[in-house]
Amino acid sequence: MNNIKSRAGGIILFILSIALTVGIKLIFPACGPHDDGSFMNCHWAEQAVFGSGIALTTVSLIVLIFGSSKVSLGASLAMIPTAAVTALIPDVFIPLCRMPMMRCHTIMHPAVIVISCLIAVTALVNAAVIIRKKERSK
Amino acid sequence: MKLTESLSFKNIKGRPARSLALTILTAIMAASIVVGTVTVTSLKTGLGALESRLGADIMVVPASAASKKNFENIVLQGSKGYFYMDRTYYDKVAEREGIEKISAQLFLASASAGCCSVPLQIIGYDPETDFTVSPWIRKSTGGELGLLDVVVGNDLSVFVGDTITFYNVRCNVVAKLDKTGTDLDTAVYTNTDTIKRLIESSLELGMNDFRDIDPDKVVSCILIKVADDHPVDEVLNDLNLHVRRTKSFKTKDMISGVSDSLIGVSGIIGILMCAVWLLGLVILFLAFTLSVNERRKEFAVLRIAGASRRKISRTVVSEALIITLGGSIAGTAAGLLIMLPFNGLIEESMGLPFLLPEAWVIIVLCFAAIVVSAAAGAASSAYSAHRVSRLDAGLVLRGDN
Repeated sequence: MNNIKSRAGGIILFILSIALTVGIKLIFPACGPHDDGSFMNCHWAEQAVFGSGIALTTVSLIVLIFGSSKVSLGASLAMIPTAAVTALIPDVFIPLCRMPMMRCHTIMHPAVIVISCLIAVTALVNAAVIIRKKERSK
Repeated sequence: MKLTESLSFKNIKGRPARSLALTILTAIMAASIVVGTVTVTSLKTGLGALESRLGADIMVVPASAASKKNFENIVLQGSKGYFYMDRTYYDKVAEREGIEKISAQLFLASASAGCCSVPLQIIGYDPETDFTVSPWIRKSTGGELGLLDVVVGNDLSVFVGDTITFYNVRCNVVAKLDKTGTDLDTAVYTNTDTIKRLIESSLELGMNDFRDIDPDKVVSCILIKVADDHPVDEVLNDLNLHVRRTKSFKTKDMISGVSDSLIGVSGIIGILMCAVWLLGLVILFLAFTLSVNERRKEFAVLRIAGASRRKISRTVVSEALIITLGGSIAGTAAGLLIMLPFNGLIEESMGLPFLLPEAWVIIVLCFAAIVVSAAAGAASSAYSAHRVSRLDAGLVLRGDN
């Protein structure tokens, strides 16, 4: 029980990162290709988020495996800017389609923002909890 | 004394599962307020914007179009579609009495814009007679609408000075309209000459899906502003009686359908919110009552140790307040995380005018949600607090309760 409690942050971060990585391809992907097979900008935003999602999942695994050690603290802190940058990929770093009623605007963009924000907040809380534990154990 | 050192906070920490469950319950209650009120307010704002956006008192369309199922969506909301009537009807309507302003529009549905795979509604209008589009221009380059100049709805991600391509024709964006919360926000307005050019290009590309029409000889819809000294109904009856093969509608009557849907949706949201709140309040009341009953001996010891009735009562209420305040803030944040990023999806799935209210309205609604949810939680513990403050410590500790 205690083991699960100390790894709760890592478990949540792992689930959220997996949700982002799998979701961007299966649940909330960008718009489909044109009739001629060419892709719109939003497709490349989807690809970039997928790549970022893989990185976040890997780092969240480190957080999960190392529990409340210094490695876990460092990995949690690293996830904060990564998640923030992921949230900015659609529409800021890579522009989306011009019509806001298209799938990339109505589903993909908000889903990426919400999950990335949740990852950043969870990583921040997890880092704070680890720091507090370290201080108490001194 | 720090909050984390208070007895209430230690009680909460001592029962993490119960505290978490009550926090989640309060969060659901607060989220239901935020989602419900922001949705209803957005629908009302959208309807208001649609009413003022239409601008005309009467709309005249071909009689055949009036029987089309999606006719109102095309005229009111800018959904993709088209119908035409001979331009002579425009002259016939203009000759009738009581008409202060009259302007015609021509609907085209584009195959797609260069940016997107979704068709747009292109509306041809006459800038000289227009009184419904121009008042909504938010930003423009100024000057007259020339050949290949277009005015775009607010939701199109193109800006004044950009170009947008239809049927391989590059058009200049010279103005952008204010948001209405309807499909009109994705419509593109232009003059007759540009429409002709687009039709020619669509014919060359073999992409013409709106027949071979001549914009000089046909119109889709005639918009009328009735003179102040004439009742709208009188002019409407006159048009329906004397201009054959057309159908005239009062715009207010057309909006009543949208308004009825809005009342229906608001009613359902209200019922759901009431159900969530009723259930939540009952569970909170029972949870606090049971919790206090379980801890009667603990409170009796506190009484014997010298704690006043008021102190014990305050401990119970503040425990409830800490839990419900935390839940309310989390629930409000969750509600905002649903409503703000996903408003486009909500708008699309509802099919009703949906326009998020101004930021200050949302802030007030969130603040109200936090206060109401936290207060409701604290109030539901008031009965338990009153009971526990009246307990007889001696009887409780002897086990004769």
